[in-house]
Amino acid sequence: MSPAAIGVTGVLVLFALLILRVPVWIALVLVGFFGNVVLAGWPGAFALAGTAPFDVASSYTLSVVPLFILMGEIASESKLSGELFNAARVILSGFRGGLAVATLAASACFGAVSGSSLANAATMTRMALPELRKAGYDDGLATGCIAAGGSTDILIPPSIILVIYAAIAELSVPKLLAAGLMPGLVLTALYMAVALVVAHVRPDYAPDAENYSLRARVAALREPWQFLALFIVTIGGIYAGIFSPTEAAAVGAFGAILIGMLGRRLGLSDLLRAIESTVVVSCLLFVIVIGANLFSFFIVQGHLPELLLDGARAWNLSGLTVMVLIILGYIVLGCFLEGIGMVLITVPVFQPIVTQFGYDPIWFAIIVVVMVEVGLIHPPVGMNLFVIQAQAPDVRITSIYRGIIPFLVAPLILIVLMFMFPGLALWLPKVLYG
Amino acid sequence: MRPRDRLLKLADHVQRAQLWLAAAALIALMLVTVADVFLRYLFNNPIRGSYDSVESLLLVFVFNGMAAGFFGRRNIVIDLVDTLAGPRATAVLIRVADVLSVLCLGLLLWAMWLPAVQAYHYGDVKMELRIPIYVLWIVALASLLGTMFCALVVLAAKPASADSGRSE
Repeated sequence: MSPAAIGVTGVLVLFALLILRVPVWIALVLVGFFGNVVLAGWPGAFALAGTAPFDVASSYTLSVVPLFILMGEIASESKLSGELFNAARVILSGFRGGLAVATLAASACFGAVSGSSLANAATMTRMALPELRKAGYDDGLATGCIAAGGSTDILIPPSIILVIYAAIAELSVPKLLAAGLMPGLVLTALYMAVALVVAHVRPDYAPDAENYSLRARVAALREPWQFLALFIVTIGGIYAGIFSPTEAAAVGAFGAILIGMLGRRLGLSDLLRAIESTVVVSCLLFVIVIGANLFSFFIVQGHLPELLLDGARAWNLSGLTVMVLIILGYIVLGCFLEGIGMVLITVPVFQPIVTQFGYDPIWFAIIVVVMVEVGLIHPPVGMNLFVIQAQAPDVRITSIYRGIIPFLVAPLILIVLMFMFPGLALWLPKVLYG
Repeated sequence: MRPRDRLLKLADHVQRAQLWLAAAALIALMLVTVADVFLRYLFNNPIRGSYDSVESLLLVFVFNGMAAGFFGRRNIVIDLVDTLAGPRATAVLIRVADVLSVLCLGLLLWAMWLPAVQAYHYGDVKMELRIPIYVLWIVALASLLGTMFCALVVLAAKPASADSGRSE
């Protein structure tokens, strides 16, 4: 059996294990380890399995992950998101669909201090859904806004998935965090446009809302100052070169705790709950990254990217065709893989191919994350949809499915825009880091 | 109390202890980094060894934090099959995942033993703090042993149902 055939077999076994409900980290470890045994022998496979956990768990680059998760958890526990939503609701009042747009704006702002899409969707369901329903919004439109808004979290920095992507693809974390900002904002604007179109086409879905005075709107602008402060200090600090990502995340988490405690929004029990959740979520991610290390070594040994590249060349496929095929592949994978797993399994295979076709790896990273976003919200298995239903069990899943469908157009438009204007992702990193 | 419940209670204590050890490491990691930043920018006097401290504390954090995830069967899974398979088949798949969890943790423990021994013999130390690297290996192995104990107890004593082990 050639190394490439072993590589293909390994990938198929991996998918079989995942479908059979084997945890993602175990599937990656098993396929990675035994694949490496076949290709590199027992000593090589053992050496890698022995050192990878230690190297991953003591990686300075990855120390940013738990700190950013902690910052998001603290922001969520201290109910800062409630103030954010209230401010957005007042500022964006006075037009049909305003509350839906406010939900999307609040989600994007929450994304600026949180790196987890699921946490964002869960938090906004608790904050925004009761208000949207009270205002007479259709359940589908309301939950669609929350699911879509939550998904922007992984694009708008700080993004956990971009940090892990950077670690696995050996890219610069600050550059990737800079690359995600513009597409994240554009995507938020596209989601808002979708919400407005739906509200216009189906006025019964989004009744007229209360109109606040200019004075009330100006007053509301002051409310979410904490978010602005945290975002400027952390992400601004990274962009300005003042902090490394780890330093920014530590200062951000510390700042969130201080703001929460000084404002009497964060009690000791809230803090402990946030820390406990951070420990569990972060460590679940770390074991997956450990497994992904073994798996990506196996992919490299199996020359799978070279095999696919040769195939593309033999079929005379252009770079654009290859990219379209990869994007279609991500849409299919998004039906049954969760985000981090999707990135860790596919990036070692696809990144060498797309860079061979002349695409920028940072631009490709943002494309991948946008596709992960699509996976988070598209039926039948978008995780954000399940999170919303878990938080609001009285909303029918079919209503959530119906509500999210119009929003799926937005990330696809963003992908087209990124092909037409790669600078959407590459401009800011270039300005900041050359 | 039945032996099974006693075992579950013991594992619960182990995972709680490891959880709070990981939490302490996380807070220490955050405070060291914040202090380093403030001292550097305000007094031009950064903390010596902050980089080593972050790496070492992260190691304590990761290896101890795993236990809670394993004890709660909270590892990320693709649970699409739950809708197709009945509860009994799902329970079997969860049991298989429990067995594989223990085997994989055992494999990692076994594989990590040799580099840990090598680190002891070579006498390598952290660049700035001069902490012997083998000490960190001992921490990693001991913590992983705790995680493996929790995974074993889950396999032996925790009932398997689709509610446990759902995707995050």
